[in-house]
This record gives sequence, C-alpha cells and structure tokens, in this order.
Amino acid sequence: MSSEASEDGEVRVFSDYTRDFEEDADVVVVGSGPSGSVVAYELAKAGHKVVLIEEGPPFTPQEFRADGNISMARTMREGGLRSTTGTFMPILQAICLGGGSLINSAMCVRPPAFIFDEWSTRYELDHTTRADLDPHYDAVSEFLGIAPTPEDVQGPRNLLFRQGCDALGIASEPVDRNVRGCRGSGECFSGCRARAKQSMDISYIPEAMKFGARVLTSLQVQGVLGEGRRVGGVEGRVVEPFSGRTSHAFRVRARWVVLAAGCMATPVLLQKSGNLANTSGQVGRNLQFHPGSAVAGVFPESIDPIFGGTQSYQSLAFLEEGFKLETMWSAPAALAVRMPGVGTELVQRFGELPRTAIWDAIASTHRSLGTVKARFRSLNPVIRWTLHPEDIKVMLRSIHVLAQIFFAAGAEKVLPGVGGLADEMHSLEEAEVLRDYAIRSGDLVTASSHVFCTTRMHGDPAQGVVDEEGRCHGYDNLYIADTGIFPRCPSVNPMLTVMALAHRQAQSLVERV
Amino acid sequence: MWGIVLIALAVLAVRRVWLGYPATGAEFAVLAPREEAFLQAAAEALFPPHERLPLSGGQADLPGYADRYLAVLPRRQRTLIRALFALFEHATLLWPGKGRGGFKRFSALLPEQRLGVLRDWQSSSLALRRLCLTALKAILILGYVGHSESLAALELAPWKIESPRVEADFLYPPIGGRRDQISRAGKPLGGAPTAPPLMPGLDQEAP
Ligand SMILES: Cc1cc2nc3c(=O)[nH]c(=O)nc-3n(C[C@H](O)[C@H](O)[C@H](O)COP(=O)(O)OP(=O)(O)OC[C@H]3O[C@@H](n4cnc5c(N)ncnc54)[C@H](O)[C@@H]3O)c2cc1C
Repeated sequence: MSSEASEDGEVRVFSDYTRDFEEDADVVVVGSGPSGSVVAYELAKAGHKVVLIEEGPPFTPQEFRADGNISMARTMREGGLRSTTGTFMPILQAICLGGGSLINSAMCVRPPAFIFDEWSTRYELDHTTRADLDPHYDAVSEFLGIAPTPEDVQGPRNLLFRQGCDALGIASEPVDRNVRGCRGSGECFSGCRARAKQSMDISYIPEAMKFGARVLTSLQVQGVLGEGRRVGGVEGRVVEPFSGRTSHAFRVRARWVVLAAGCMATPVLLQKSGNLANTSGQVGRNLQFHPGSAVAGVFPESIDPIFGGTQSYQSLAFLEEGFKLETMWSAPAALAVRMPGVGTELVQRFGELPRTAIWDAIASTHRSLGTVKARFRSLNPVIRWTLHPEDIKVMLRSIHVLAQIFFAAGAEKVLPGVGGLADEMHSLEEAEVLRDYAIRSGDLVTASSHVFCTTRMHGDPAQGVVDEEGRCHGYDNLYIADTGIFPRCPSVNPMLTVMALAHRQAQSLVERV
Repeated sequence: MWGIVLIALAVLAVRRVWLGYPATGAEFAVLAPREEAFLQAAAEALFPPHERLPLSGGQADLPGYADRYLAVLPRRQRTLIRALFALFEHATLLWPGKGRGGFKRFSALLPEQRLGVLRDWQSSSLALRRLCLTALKAILILGYVGHSESLAALELAPWKIESPRVEADFLYPPIGGRRDQISRAGKPLGGAPTAPPLMPGLDQEAP
C-alpha cells in the first residue's frame, strides 16, 4: 500500500481516492453519527491526532430530496428498506456524514432518573445515574444550543396535541431540540434546507476539523486489526456513494480504536474481525428497539400540517407504562400512505390531507429481543427480532391514548391504523374497541429508528461487551460509543443520551491517550 | 407425454410473463415494458380521476417515477421491489379478478376487475398480503400525491427556501464531485443564526 495520507483538518470525499493508502493516527473513530462526532471532537480538541471515518458521503442542501422514497434511498442503509425478520418491522438507519443526525427530527430528551436507576441495578453500573450524566448532557446541550421549541414555530399540528393533552389532564411539553433559528419548515427528515438543525456534519465535525481532525468519507471499514488484548487500527475499502461499489483498499493504524458505526454495524464489524471482544457471547445479542405506532386524526378545519417543528411537542406521562407520545411531521405524500382504501375512496381521502395531523408513540419494548448477525460477504446484517405479546398490548394502549387525545383536541375522526379494526373511528365510544382488542403483531403497522443493546454495557464482563466508559471488556484500547452500548432501551429518544455517554467516554479517553 | 406437458407449460409461462406487452416508446433506466404496463394499470386503478386533484393516476407518469426510484436503490432492494410488481401482475392466477378473464395478468384485466383485485388484497385475512398492498401503495402514493401538481392543488407544496451557506458548505463538494467544485459564492453564516423565512412555493426538484 502506498501512503497518500490526508492532512490535518482535511475532509476527503470519494473523488479524492485514487489508489490504496494508509494513515496513522492516535485515535481512529469509525462512524460520524452523534456518538462518533462527539468523541472525535473532544479528542481533537485535547490535541490528539484523530481520524474520523464515515462510509456515507457529506450532503449539502442541493443534495436533499423532498420525495420521501428518493430521499430515503439516498440517505439510508439498504435504500431505506432495511427491516427485521421474525416480526417484520422497517428500521431506518442513516448512511451519510453526520449519521442519524442529518435526517432525524432533532429531539433531544434526557431520560428521567428512574431509567438510569434500572440500568444501574440490573446491569451493575455504579456510575451511570442521571446525576452522573447530567454534566455531560449539559456540555453537549451547550455546544449544540439545545433549547425548548419556541411557541412561534410550533404550528397548529403541535399545539393541538398540547390542547388535547391539557383537556385530558395529561402532562405535555415542548421538545428540546438541537436547532438554531428554526422557522418550522418541518423538513428534518429529508435534511434541513434551512440549515437550522445542528446535525453533526455542520456542528461537531467542522469544529473537530478546526482542531486538526481528518475526516475520511466514503470509506467502509471492513475489519478491526486485532493483536491480543490490543487492537492496532482498522482496514477496509473505498466505497462509491449510493451504488455501494467498493474499490481501493485502505488501512488506518491507530493506538486507540473507537467504534461508533451504529448499533447494527458495530457488532457486525466485531463478528467479521474474528469475533472480537466477544468473550461474553453478547456481541450482536439483546437487540432492542422503540417501535413506533402512528395515529392520524382529521380535524374539521385546515391545520396547515406542513408548518411547524417536525416533532416539537411530547408527553412523558406514560413512560412508566412503557410508552412516550410525540407529535410528528410527515411529507404530505408520506402522510397519504396512511390513508386506507383504493380507488375513488382513497383519492377522496387525499382531499383531507390539509386537515390531517399525525402523532406517534414510541414503546419501550424491553421484552422484545433480537439478534444482529453478519451476513456472508456483506456488512448488511441479518436482523432477527420478535415483538412480545405483552409489548404489543402496550403499543395498542398507546394508540388508544393517542385517539383520546385527538378527540379531546377536536378531531372529527381518527385513523388508528390497526389491522382488523375499522379504518376510521368517529368518536371516543368507537375508539373504545381499542381498549381490549385481541391484537396480533401482524395487525400493527410499526417502524423504528431507535436501536439498542447489541454491544451492551454491563459491569460484569461475562454479561456485557463494554464497561461504563465504553471500553471493551478484556481490551486495553478498543472502545464502542454508539447506541449498541445502551444496556436497555432508554424509553426516550436516544440521540442526546448517546452523545452524553460519548462525551463521558471521550473525557476518560483524553486522560488515557 | 410429460415432456410435452412441461414444454407447453413453459411456453404458456413465457407468454404470460414476457410477451404481449405493448412498446410505449418510453425510455427507462430500469423498468421493463411489462413493469411499465403493470404500474400504469395499478396507477389507473388506485387513483381514478377525481375533482379534488387535477391529475389522475394514469396521467401522473408513475412508471417514470418508479423508474427514478428504482434507479437509486441498491441492487437487492431493487430486485425485491421488482418482484413485488411481478407478484401483483401474476397473483391473479391465485386470486383472480371477478368475472370472465379474471385469471389474466393484472394489467390485462378490465378496470373494475383491477379495482376488485386490489380491494381483495386490502381486506385479505393474510397479513402478508395486506403488507404487500401497503408497500405497493406506498411507492405509488409517494409518486402521485408527491407530484408537484397534486401538491399544488392540495396547497401543500414544499416551502420555498433559499438555503443559507454555513461554514460546512465550504468544505463539502457535490456528491461524486471534486473539492474544486465547491462553490465559493456567498459568505458563511456567522454570528447569530437566522434561518431563511418560509415562503409558500415549490422550488425543489420535480419528482
Ligand atoms: C429518521 C430518524 C429520526 C430520528 N429522530 C430522532 C430524534 O428526533 N431524536 C433522537 O434522539 N433520536 C432520533 N433518531 C435516532 C438517532 O438519530 C440515533 O439514535 C443516533 O443517530 C444514533 O447515533 P450513533 O452514533 O449511535 O449511530 P448512527 O447515527 O447510526 O451513526 C453511525 C454512522 O456510522 C457509519 N458506519 C456504519 N458502518 C460503517 C462502516 N463499516 N464504516 C464506516 N462507517 C460506518 C454510518 O454510515 C453512520 O453514519 C432518529 C433516527 C432516524 C433514522
């Protein structure tokens, strides 16, 4: 391999790679999502030579696409069509500079203390209470300007949710988000053309580059170089954006390796690297999601559904019951996909789109577990997961509560989206059927973009893959930073928590490196 | 004897799957004429003319839309979606349309038969069949409702936004391009951030 090393503070893109190459660094970070970006920034700021590797390309506003299908095909893994087997569920995961932050809705939520208390007691984690993490949450929040969504960018879609919750005495609140100067264009999912969302590609990553971090995009890491208790770097190939065709080989030698490739990719990388860091047998196991169910409500008047923060109001009132409620923006055409029927009946319903809002619930399905396994000659994993019957009941309950909130907010009808039940419900009484419906998993239309636990943190090396600082048990210099290290699903949106954990990890790494 | 039966079946299968599709002259990156015919037939059945929307499914060039979508999908997913189209086109052998000729391929059915077939998929007791219909509808609805004319008629067109340039925009070239293609025009947003105002409009690329 020849050396065609990048320069400090440089970003490399697909067209920059003309041959095989090698690099050296103090720390190599694999994956530029929220976790990897925070680690890269903190270490670069501390003066270390950092190489941040990302498989996807950087996107600028000209590259964003309004069309849902095409946008997902460009920014997400497996063209946006990745799904689980067992219980079928689409799962959304990014492949781009900034990872999930480029196409997520910027919700930044700190889980309440009881979540961490469960983590501590069940997984022998002595230093991972909410109080332990608060300074790290604060640091990330300050960096990204995280603040509650102001009233003037809420729009009717979000405010009606508050109105419905108020009428029922359910606590709700504006969502904290990592945005600066958002005007409520609601386009978070396809990339923020207004450049208000502080996704990693425009926040942490450029700042890391100012401190000398080298950012190598369009590189697919295919293996971790391991030598006993130590690892020596990573290797892989250049990959063409979108087509996924691989070409030149590369190797980055580093004293420290941080895997932040996401909860699905990191276990696959370990499995493909000779089953690295798996003395516990837990790599790729314990997979959990927050499956989401969306309910649509049609109001008597137009509610200007495209205006307002993407997901700007929420209720944490049901967290202990196992679900969280949120508002949701959807491109009109994607919203239309919720409409039941075919032919004239369907087209007629499209006319209701200006009066339709969509709200969703994410469920903490602790009982529903799965696995992630490497596929032969591919880094796309086989994902097996089964929705537990008790968790299905929790999801149905969340749908019922959303229907109640819609009616309390003045909706004239609700589309619960539950197979085997009426497409539309016109009153609270009709919605009562949701209370005791004998639901099966095939009746639910669900999807998830929150994934956890495949390299879980555990105080006991026999039961987990990493310790509280994210270091792989049994290794001196191999770390994992992504949401795979969560010991259990956090019940709220995970981005802020994975960044807080990454911030803590980076601080301990700074001392060691 | 069995040989003759097998050959006859093979001829019938080839005829059903490949032959008899009219050439429309449309040029596609991915779609074959048989897929174009199926998509056109499904679009006409799903989205008939209606006073609320200016375009019917038949007029919205949904085969063209599906072709653009398929072209950006990875190979495995592209194959799966094409298999979905083929499934609908030929599942009439298992779940035929009502009346005479109900076993013909979907695109050769009468309009009311096609609608009936789609209704059967929708109300099927098999969750997998309902899921397949949802997948097909999702692709076509995104193309149909997302069509600029449909959005304009519903007054739901995307905002007109002139993206401000942030520092990072001076770092990243267009995807697939070289760094010397980064536009140097404009200044990076400095100081207090101000996103641009939202204006009703439609300035994103046509689908
Ligand atoms: C549509 C959507 C909406 C969401 N909304 C919210 C929200 O509002 N709030 C919230 O808290 N969370 C939200 N999430 C979830 C949140 O974005 C993720 O939990 C978060 O991005 C996880 O960060 P991560 O660093 O663990 O992994 P990721 O963000 O997945 O980043 C991993 C990165 O590693 C790269 N990578 C993977 N494999 C390789 C390899 N072999 N070589 C090189 N690079 C590789 C990937 O391309 C990716 O960029 C949303 C997610 C999605 C998809």
